[in-house]
Amino acid sequence: MYRSGTVMVVRQYNEELKYLERLSPSCWRIKKGFQPNMNVEGIFYVNDHLEKLMFEELRNSCRPGTIGGFLPGVKQIANVAALPGIVGKSVGLPDVHSGYGFAIGNMAAFDMDNPKAVVSPGGVGFDINCGVRLLRTNLMESDVSPIKERLAQSMFDHIPVGVGSKGIIPMTARDLEEALEMGMDWSLREGYIWAEDKEHCEEYGRMAQADPAKVSMRAKKRGLPQLGTLGAGNHYAEIQVVDEIFDKWAASKMGIEEKGQVCVMIHSGSRGFGHQVATDALVAMEKAMKRDDIETNDRQLACARIKSAEGQDYLKSMAAAANFAWVNRSSMTFLSRQAFAKQFQLSPDDLDMHVIYDVSHNIAKIEQHWVEGRLRTLLVHRKGSTRAFPPHHPLIPVDYQLTGQPVLIGGTMGTCSYVLTGTEQGMTETFGSTCHGAGRALSRAKSRRNLDYGDVLQRLQEQGISIRVASPKLVMEEAPESYKNVTDVVNTCHAAGISKKCIKLRPIAVIKG
Amino acid sequence: MFRRKLTALEYMNPDSFNVNDERNLRDLIVWLEDQKIRHYKIEDRGDLKAIDSNDWPTAYKQYLGALNCPINPNDRPAVVDWLLGLSVRFEYGDNAEKYKNETAENVTNRRQSAPKVVNTNPLDALDFQSSEFRDGVNRLAKQLNITPHPDHLITLKAISKLIRTRLSPEALQKPGDVVHQGKPYPIFESDLGFETGDYVLNNAGKALRLMYIHDLRELQTKINECIVAVQTITANPKTDTKLGKVGR
Repeated sequence: MYRSGTVMVVRQYNEELKYLERLSPSCWRIKKGFQPNMNVEGIFYVNDHLEKLMFEELRNSCRPGTIGGFLPGVKQIANVAALPGIVGKSVGLPDVHSGYGFAIGNMAAFDMDNPKAVVSPGGVGFDINCGVRLLRTNLMESDVSPIKERLAQSMFDHIPVGVGSKGIIPMTARDLEEALEMGMDWSLREGYIWAEDKEHCEEYGRMAQADPAKVSMRAKKRGLPQLGTLGAGNHYAEIQVVDEIFDKWAASKMGIEEKGQVCVMIHSGSRGFGHQVATDALVAMEKAMKRDDIETNDRQLACARIKSAEGQDYLKSMAAAANFAWVNRSSMTFLSRQAFAKQFQLSPDDLDMHVIYDVSHNIAKIEQHWVEGRLRTLLVHRKGSTRAFPPHHPLIPVDYQLTGQPVLIGGTMGTCSYVLTGTEQGMTETFGSTCHGAGRALSRAKSRRNLDYGDVLQRLQEQGISIRVASPKLVMEEAPESYKNVTDVVNTCHAAGISKKCIKLRPIAVIKG
Repeated sequence: MFRRKLTALEYMNPDSFNVNDERNLRDLIVWLEDQKIRHYKIEDRGDLKAIDSNDWPTAYKQYLGALNCPINPNDRPAVVDWLLGLSVRFEYGDNAEKYKNETAENVTNRRQSAPKVVNTNPLDALDFQSSEFRDGVNRLAKQLNITPHPDHLITLKAISKLIRTRLSPEALQKPGDVVHQGKPYPIFESDLGFETGDYVLNNAGKALRLMYIHDLRELQTKINECIVAVQTITANPKTDTKLGKVGR
């Protein structure tokens, strides 16, 4: 009943439920045996509403005659728990939904010291280092409202959007090679960004193990014209205002003082470049799996031993793609600052347009974590999951040592976004990880069938949101109705204690592909 | 040639004294009379002290006469040597008890045990453990609003740090530039990251955290300054709107 290459235990829905156990109001355990060969247990976080969605998805998949599509999220979490070398638990965050191999919103850590442990491109995602960056300004909503339309147009003019868009920052093939190796250091050297931007970026905007030589020509050709473009899909640039402050002190550390303060959020990734890097790696890994006799429950969970040539090559090219994404978001930071400076006739400095933080929610990183009383070096896969380190962690910027790492949660077009902070509890329960956004509730095809783009655009207008889209006919795929409610997702993370609510933002202008 | 005697008398620049330099000579004679010989009453030293006056040679001769100096006033090296000898004699006479026990052996011993560096910093001669010094440090601390540490030398370090960072000429002129205007943060309500079970120890941990963050911030600021310095050479951001293309 499923695609070939997928191991699936066929059971009745009621039988399936015996493998799921509620641990707390916001947390469920997936016991071993739910899927074959599970090395560890699974866990997922939900609230009442999200719980219904999860179980409905599972029930639908148990119906006879169901064909194709992705496995339900719970099954995918359990299949990841069966991968070699996994440590702790396979974790599903509240925004979890089915994806390629790994569910989106699934994090899993693999033991670097176990020679059989694997790295899987499906655990990172096709949009490598897709992430969110938040800039603050010293403007208030009343300063922006009168020229909102012009400002949105100015942003739209500066930041090319959509499928096949091309950037306005001139790049040669050599520039690209350097950018892939240097990440944000390239943007700094060329003068597109400020020194403080690097300070407030995960990994300081550069993964050192990047090796452009491991990246195919095809990926580079796709990537070259796309630097400084937003892309399509769920990516966007938004002008937002602070709607609510939950943690006054932490917000103040981020330069957010009061409701109505204007921010700019950029949600984007590595465009076609990262997609090609992932595709190339999947092909190489299928061969490596045969050679090394690696068995998985799902063909989509293609992986390779971390220490193998394929594993190392993937990590090096993934790092190059991560650097690409940081340069991309940095270029858009530069362009947004230009757009604001032009409209307000003030320098970006005078507008205090500092980067609050920049998170990566599709990435694999080597980190140290305490597991069963022992400090271990792990390869942490976060796919649709955001790192959320607690206060005093050595890898977060000095400015956030007291508050914990800012976690930027982008909503969907026209809905709210949130800033959370990392907690000690998240560090122990989820390897310092939390949700990344709303998470899809309807598939793209289903959204297109069920919604009308005219209605979607009109509803945004009624809410007073200026919108600029490259392809209006695709907006229903990204309509709020197609997604889980981001507030549900965030509240679940807050209630579970794996991160803490700090700021709520609402959009007043959206630029989209 | 007079170095030893000048050093013994603690004259300011024993090495650079030049007997053939009129100015040097006059300075020395005035100093000797003021500090060591003190033959005239203070109010009668006016003529001799007027070293720029044309009448100074007369005053000089009179002075030698008053001292019953047997040397010809024009043989200046001889006069200086005689005056220095006289001063040494007076110096000895004033502290006869102290000097009479001095033997070559004593002096050699002391020289061996004492550091060879010649001290020119008057502060080095201070007795840092005297109660007078201790009280002074504590009084200063009180004035500067610094909580005294049981070890007054640590208090002194704190005082020194405060004066260097907050009371420097730049800081006093433009406090905004030097003194960082931070926002208050309820550090004692924040998460320490560990729990010792002891309230005081927890607070000490928080204070250490703050100091560490302070150092880290300083380091990060220096790193940023380096980056900005390099950017002034390398930066050349460009855009070309002709390249731009909006997708579908």
